[in-house]
Amino acid sequence: MAYRITDLCIGCTLCARNCPVGAVVGTVKQQHKIEEKRCVECGVCANFCAKGAIVKSDGSVAEKIPKDKWKKPVIDTNRCSACSMCVVACGFSCIKISYPVKQGDLDVFAVLVKPEKCVGCCLCEEACPLGAITMKEGGAK
Amino acid sequence: MILPVYAKINMTNGEWERFPISQELFSKYLGGKSLGARLLTDLTEPGIDCFAPEAVLIVNTGPMNGTGAPSSGRFNMTFKNVLTGGIASSNCGGTFGMLLKKSGFDGLIITGKADELSKIIIEDGDIHIEKCPELAGLNTEEAQEKLPKRYGKLVIGPAGENLVRYALAASGERVAGRCGAGAVMGSKNLKAIIAFGTKKVEKYDPKGFAEHTKKWVDALKKHPMTGNGLPRYGSAGLLSKANASSALPTHNFSKGQYEHAHDISGETLAETKLVRNSGCVSCPIRCERRVKVGGKEVKGPEYETLCLFGSNIDSNDLDLINAINYDADVLGMDTISLGGTIAFAMELQEKGMADFGLKFGCVEDLRTAISDIAYRRGKVGELAEGSKRLSEKYGGKEFAIHSKGLELAAYEPRRSTGMGLGYATSNRGGCHLNGGYLALMESVGVVSMNAQTPKGKPELTVFFQNAMEACSAAGFCLFTMQAIVPSLIFKYGSASFVSRAFGQALLMVRPVLGKVWHLMPWILPVNMMLMPHSKSIKLATGIPMTMGKFVTVGERGYNTERLYNLREGLTCEDDSLPDRLTKVQQDPKRKDTVVDLKTMLPVYYKVRGWDSKGVPTAKRLEKLGIPVEQRKEG
Repeated sequence: MAYRITDLCIGCTLCARNCPVGAVVGTVKQQHKIEEKRCVECGVCANFCAKGAIVKSDGSVAEKIPKDKWKKPVIDTNRCSACSMCVVACGFSCIKISYPVKQGDLDVFAVLVKPEKCVGCCLCEEACPLGAITMKEGGAK
Repeated sequence: MILPVYAKINMTNGEWERFPISQELFSKYLGGKSLGARLLTDLTEPGIDCFAPEAVLIVNTGPMNGTGAPSSGRFNMTFKNVLTGGIASSNCGGTFGMLLKKSGFDGLIITGKADELSKIIIEDGDIHIEKCPELAGLNTEEAQEKLPKRYGKLVIGPAGENLVRYALAASGERVAGRCGAGAVMGSKNLKAIIAFGTKKVEKYDPKGFAEHTKKWVDALKKHPMTGNGLPRYGSAGLLSKANASSALPTHNFSKGQYEHAHDISGETLAETKLVRNSGCVSCPIRCERRVKVGGKEVKGPEYETLCLFGSNIDSNDLDLINAINYDADVLGMDTISLGGTIAFAMELQEKGMADFGLKFGCVEDLRTAISDIAYRRGKVGELAEGSKRLSEKYGGKEFAIHSKGLELAAYEPRRSTGMGLGYATSNRGGCHLNGGYLALMESVGVVSMNAQTPKGKPELTVFFQNAMEACSAAGFCLFTMQAIVPSLIFKYGSASFVSRAFGQALLMVRPVLGKVWHLMPWILPVNMMLMPHSKSIKLATGIPMTMGKFVTVGERGYNTERLYNLREGLTCEDDSLPDRLTKVQQDPKRKDTVVDLKTMLPVYYKVRGWDSKGVPTAKRLEKLGIPVEQRKEG
């Protein structure tokens, strides 16, 4: 199942540019389309759509969450094993493994290095095998 | 049970179809190299050339790949070995495996040959082939930069395009190095395979699996080897101990100690060159070294590269080793076979038997020579054929350090006789990992087992070969097996009584180990944290896996590979090592510093349930559920 774009779409390309898995295709000023097999139903496209053109698989209009309410990953550094599953999952290279603070330091972990680029898709949370990532509104406080 | 989905791709006409894997095949072989060996045997005619269009290249994952289980990011390539003519399996930790699975396929079976240089694109359960002249001649790094950013990539460099017999295939900076995987891709005009998708990797018991994974990661983090030794020093950490045990190949395996070993040790690397450590996707061990070459941060060398481009060619230039390691990766060549062949060529030169312009200790122009080998330029370009073929042309078979044609890894078997047996019997040729890696217990690790005695070695070799085969088949990294060694031994060190006692105890269980195989899998109907792999497989796939069944998967895989080798014309005569290692004493005063294959091989065959010529018996095959009609007298 996947999200769909209705004919309310004006082809602004925002959803296509911000889809974390590249599931939206289309050209400027043309109605865009979501690739069914690729879509992970994260709802990020709806958060960018000014026209309410995104509908869920059940046909209801997907809710647009304002940017200040987007969830961001909070990483439990004690739990994290720096396995990079989240790094590979992130579509915008927002997460990186930290650098050692001094020579021989092995205590490294995943860090949200570009919080401004994070669209709150939750793919990192899903990918983490240890449950070290929790998505929280507004991110780490 | 979720069955794997394979795709059969014909490069000649660009068509592809789904290739179903039955539940029986999946339960018996799991995936990776074991299932690869089964499929290669079934899908190819005997005796075809490794570069023939009808030759098959299998790129596959194991059931654990993409699940997030510790160190399960590895994928496998199986094909007819370019160096030995037998089976080849090459393992890699790049992201390609995981993304292949997320694109909807567990494995690819590639056959045929494209007219022009091409790439295979796999997206969301669909496959197409495109010509890619723009990638021609590019090295593995440049080629990957030109391909779409987030895709899992598997590419070859110039060496693969020029059919260098030990060319590799690279995914990110990780490589499937051994046996010539890159050359097989090159022979099919296949420059790259890329994959992307978002398919979820389903698990049979997600909750149980997550709990088990947490427990296992904690155990790996707490273990002195996987939690400290490997992340701190990488495999390079073995070098100092190897040198102390006289097991560090030096001057083309003529000596076991190198006077400047400290300069190229894991400790020196960590103190002077290491930027940080890193790891394959899903791995908490993180043994990868990161160093700087020409101001750029790149992957650092493994132990084998440090030795084969250090002590084995009489060089202590650590910067040069880092640079060569990078060159070999981007040009697309396996550093073990490349290093072994260069050392052999140096000895040919030293003995006046050939002139390649290569001399022990003279390494100034080595980077140029390595580039020439990748492009097969000039006289030194002949090294692209590997040491076996060079020795057939120029002589020197007694010091061409390979088994079956595959160059030996950096463990001097005369100070690690079990490793010697492993090299000789390894299905893919002179490989330490496929050979059971007893060197880790005998000479380079923390366990102090008697390295010279042939007693007990066949039994232990069979056990570790099978366990490691199963580990690979499932998609785990072999380093997860290192946590089997009790932590206590690390506390007291390799010189301690505890370490010696543990080594001795392992040798003493040989009467038991030698006889348990016909009782498998029923003798081990349990899952224990000692080998957490089996429970992890059970929770992820729903296969009722136990430790007994797990090692039996390995035994089945090993026998299947052996049958393939026999079918392709290899015999027990090929279970051999060069005369330097079996006839010339490393220490002239010690008679036991040779590899006593004559004593160990008959015992090894017996333990395996093979006849005196090394052919698996019908009885053993029936027990393992391998088609007996595939048995051929050696």
